[in-house]
Amino acid sequence: MENNPLPLKGIRVADFCWVYAGPYCGMLLGCLGAEVIKVEGHRRTDLLRHIVTWPLADPAPTPVPPNQGMAFNSLNMNKKSLTLDLTKPEGVAIAKKLVAVSDIVADNMRAGSMARMGMGYDELRKIKSDIIVLSLSSRGQQGPQKDYAGYASIHHAIGGGAYVTGYPDDHPCHNMGDVDLMNSNTAAFAIVAALYHREKTGEGQFIDCSQVEGVTSLIGELMLGYEMNGQIPERMGNAHPQYAPHNVYQCWGVDRWIALEVHSDEEFAVLAQVIGQPELAADARFADMASRKKNEAELDRIIEEWTRQRDRDWLANEFCRAGLAAAPSRNGEDIYADPHLRAREVFVTVDHPELGELELLGTPWKMSGDEVQLQHAPLLGEHNDYVLRELLGLSDAEVNDLRQKDVIL
Amino acid sequence: MAGDALTGLKVVELATMVAGPYCAKMLADMGADVIKVEPPEGDPARQVGPFPKSGPHPEHSALFLYNNTSKRGITLNIDTAEGLNALKRLIKWANVLIDGLPFQRLENLGLSWEAISGLNPSLIYTSITPYGRTGPRADVKGDELALIHAGSLGNLLPTRAENIDRPPIKTEGYFVGYHGGLSAALATVGAALGQCKTGKGRLIDISLQETIVSLMRPNIAGNRYHHTNWSRVPDRPPAMGRMETKDGYIVIGTPEDHHFKAFRELMGNPEWIAGKEWETLAYRSHHLMDVTTKLDDWMRQQSKHDIHHRAAKMGIAVGPINSAPEVVSDEQFIYRNYFIEVEHPEAGKHKYAGWPYKLSATPPRVYRPAPLLGQHNREVFCDELGYSAEEFEQLQHTGVV
Repeated sequence: MENNPLPLKGIRVADFCWVYAGPYCGMLLGCLGAEVIKVEGHRRTDLLRHIVTWPLADPAPTPVPPNQGMAFNSLNMNKKSLTLDLTKPEGVAIAKKLVAVSDIVADNMRAGSMARMGMGYDELRKIKSDIIVLSLSSRGQQGPQKDYAGYASIHHAIGGGAYVTGYPDDHPCHNMGDVDLMNSNTAAFAIVAALYHREKTGEGQFIDCSQVEGVTSLIGELMLGYEMNGQIPERMGNAHPQYAPHNVYQCWGVDRWIALEVHSDEEFAVLAQVIGQPELAADARFADMASRKKNEAELDRIIEEWTRQRDRDWLANEFCRAGLAAAPSRNGEDIYADPHLRAREVFVTVDHPELGELELLGTPWKMSGDEVQLQHAPLLGEHNDYVLRELLGLSDAEVNDLRQKDVIL
Repeated sequence: MAGDALTGLKVVELATMVAGPYCAKMLADMGADVIKVEPPEGDPARQVGPFPKSGPHPEHSALFLYNNTSKRGITLNIDTAEGLNALKRLIKWANVLIDGLPFQRLENLGLSWEAISGLNPSLIYTSITPYGRTGPRADVKGDELALIHAGSLGNLLPTRAENIDRPPIKTEGYFVGYHGGLSAALATVGAALGQCKTGKGRLIDISLQETIVSLMRPNIAGNRYHHTNWSRVPDRPPAMGRMETKDGYIVIGTPEDHHFKAFRELMGNPEWIAGKEWETLAYRSHHLMDVTTKLDDWMRQQSKHDIHHRAAKMGIAVGPINSAPEVVSDEQFIYRNYFIEVEHPEAGKHKYAGWPYKLSATPPRVYRPAPLLGQHNREVFCDELGYSAEEFEQLQHTGVV
């Protein structure tokens, strides 16, 4: 369509991240048009390259050949891969050369790791004065717990999310990798804001991002509510403080569920019609929001009695057509099968050199103007030549020397 | 040199509840000039708690106060001709329009993307809707509960459930709204960078369902191509992960051999896991369940915060499952000054959750508390949009503002 180049075209990212939260941050910048160069040691690669994320179909974690881990392939699209052994001074020297031609440097190592390798912000800004450096850590760069390790579930726990997730009569619930990918968005937002500032002023800066705090910022109203009234927010399952019905109901079959939420008396009257019990709308027990909330258990029982005899997708269709907010509780297969996501071209097909065609999720937004053409996640060292020779201008002899010293693959 | 990252970025927010307002708050706390447009009766978030002990009051809602910091606020009835005209003047004034209403709302007022773009060709128009602006579900309603399940995250919760007959659940609070707002903020500021260079506008179509689906991408791809299990009830009994202590829960992980050895040492090297065979992942994967009762019994004698520090200092990835008061009193949050005091003229002085990012040159901050309903009407209409005092009074008189 119109000729409107991707907004981060011309921006280069030196990406020292691995596993979940960091790499997807780089991919998001790539979705906005940045050139992202992923740097890994060839003897210590991003571990997602060669593992299957739990839970597995096999009794023990199955290693897969390098480059074929699916989490890796879905979180690193559109990147270029450079191998560098950063435990060797030659590796760090090349990394610094890369920084000199980059706009952004990102890492998600433990606090202080980059500085210990001689690549802290103060060093990097001497190489490129307007560099933007992001360190995405578990608990932040300073403070009594800066050296504590963590991953997604742990951040969800410490930040306060897990405590309020779960059935009201049972244990709290820690989320998994989704917490990391949420934090990738947080980190990428901080980076584009810093880029905006640099665009206006020419000034770079250091960004210290805490994944624990990333969780807490998304329950801001619960934290402030507690601060104001002293009541500790507790687990509510699928319930809402005011709305009812507001639950997930069993449908026909095994482990089939539909989410349904009603926000007004008008919507409740529609629901009563759809389930063939219009008299419920006039029933004193359910006539307004407060009485529905009070008699929620009985209402849930009536609704589920009806839904459990019916097909989930048929129900979703009936409810939505009638103007209600309802959705099947989808699993992975349902996502691939969803005609709505198909119509919106949410999936992209990439041609992976080892695996052939893969259908993976594309950008999380739709934007007018030039569209990003997502490429497969890079094979290990796939772009060594491009980066070392074209970008950094190394000679054949220099590249061979690095290979001989086992600095690169 | 201290500064504000998004100084000069002019934003109009036409949104309610969480997703659009949180998106605009993120921009506002970074220095953008955000004008929030509320209907005359106010953003419905004002009616939703949590509230202080004094009870519901439209200027006391924690949901509204948190999500609307650093903004100016006006009221506008966009269903009147004068109101619509004022909205068009705002659109011409702005660099960014954040529209959290159903997209049909503006279309029905004659403000399709083409029309909006005609008014202001360089505008970034961020439209946040349950399912996006196109496709067979474009007209379908959706809110937190429906969308967390539509996006497949809910289907895996509660993580490591024990009972398949209990329903899958949603995650905390307004996660869909907040995360959708976060995603929209990233795309919007990204696009604003392009706007600086080209002067061209863009339509950003945010589907909240897709922002959730995107968080599940490794699971979704693994399920299809590695045939991994997809269920909240795992296909083999869990060991570790969430564990109960004598005063609450922790999450602990010892995926690698050295983590396990550290954990064993922490327990005082009990003889029932002393064997060399326990030091390999493959063995543990098959046999950790055999000793789970013993592990659990030991953990139930520990106290949550004590074991957190002791395990963490041995290099084990671990964290307590914190309630709100535990988050507030956590030493690390305190050290980093995460919570910030904000004084609001009606709600008073309170500590608010801050930001997970510290930017050395342009730290985010709360420029002003959330606006009172219609607080900046005169300032915005007269100073920013150039209405005369008489014109403004006319708008007030006819109930447009």
